[in-house]
Amino acid sequence: MAFDPFPENRAAPSDYRAAPTDDRVKTKPPVPVKIIVAGGFGVGKTTTVGAISEISPLTTEAEMTMESVGVDHPNRATTKTTTTIAMDFGCVTIDHTLKLYLFGTPGQSRFSFMWDDLVRGALGALVVVDTSRIDDCYPAVDYFERAGLPFVVGVNTFNGQQGYNLDEVRWALAVRDDVPVLQFDARFRGSVRDALLVVLDQALDKALRMRQT
Amino acid sequence: MTGPDPDRPAVPGIRPFLREQAPADDRPPPGEQTTSLRPFVLTSGRVAAVDPNIGLETQVSTHPRAWGARLSPEQRAIVQLCAQPLSVAEISAKLRLHFGVTRILVADLRAAGCLEVHVVESEFPDPDTIMRVIRGLRSLS
Ligand SMILES: Nc1nc2c(ncn2[C@@H]2O[C@H](COP(=O)(O)OP(=O)(O)OP(=O)(O)O)[C@@H](O)[C@H]2O)c(=O)[nH]1
Ligand SMILES: [Mg+2]
Repeated sequence: MAFDPFPENRAAPSDYRAAPTDDRVKTKPPVPVKIIVAGGFGVGKTTTVGAISEISPLTTEAEMTMESVGVDHPNRATTKTTTTIAMDFGCVTIDHTLKLYLFGTPGQSRFSFMWDDLVRGALGALVVVDTSRIDDCYPAVDYFERAGLPFVVGVNTFNGQQGYNLDEVRWALAVRDDVPVLQFDARFRGSVRDALLVVLDQALDKALRMRQT
Repeated sequence: MTGPDPDRPAVPGIRPFLREQAPADDRPPPGEQTTSLRPFVLTSGRVAAVDPNIGLETQVSTHPRAWGARLSPEQRAIVQLCAQPLSVAEISAKLRLHFGVTRILVADLRAAGCLEVHVVESEFPDPDTIMRVIRGLRSLS
């Protein structure tokens, strides 16, 4: 790939060295908070991020540890593999001191994944589900459950058609009663915003519980 | 009245985690492991752990000292980008550097005094911060 990481520098090398100090007055960075948008392939994660983000989604490649359990030989240790995944993200500036980041991360069907970097400090997660391939979201649900991260299951309404209704989805996922299972449309900002607000409600509950103890 | 749709069982399958066993074909696909020389070269072969508090969303800004420093092209690109605070994820995306590589470069630049890395201790955000996010999102149309 013919990518030049410093085109500006090549175009005008002196510009950088003569960098004026006045326009580099320290801007205090915003406090970043993040919400994870997870789910199987093609369920609408990037669409979700793009619908609400103030920038068109960017992509970063990162390592994710996949773990597969030795099912054929239950006594065998689990196998861990590191895979590079492409992660889309976007952001919403709340005000100049606070910025919300959304990270869309693929969960690969049939593999549980571990990604402590991703959940560290996260407010919560929206698990996007396409009901025609409901089991694609299982690894994400398993992971957030075990990580103790607040999450919400969001059934993306592809063409208004839903394979299963919300009760059936809840039954299949067997998530705790306090985990919201809702329907949303990844293409619409208002719908994504409302789904994220439910994630934030869950996060607030957790933060208040933590404050009490 | 149609018969049962074979593609749509009456009830979806329950989450395997809750069953005793996961499906039998639970094996990572071969060749998924990606190794390339470039990240290794960029980070001078460094594999040591960097501060785990440097996350995707962590804000990074350039220290004035960086403008006089001798830097590699990648480091210089980072220093230029972060004249205004930027997240590690954005640096990674804009420079098309793997996140892991970006994180190491950022950690090195910080150690050299060229970057300020505004780490937030890994605690869960406090209720007031969350309330502000809620208010901010609600005001989005
Ligand atoms: N009709 C309809 N199409 C949708 C909806 N959400 C997503 N799509 C389409 O479905 C396709 C996949 O959506 P993406 O947002 O790319 O899904 P993704 O989860 O990011 O996919 P990967 O990153 O490849 O795993 C795109 O062509 C979207 O335009 C929806 O609610 N309705
Ligand atoms: Mg995507």
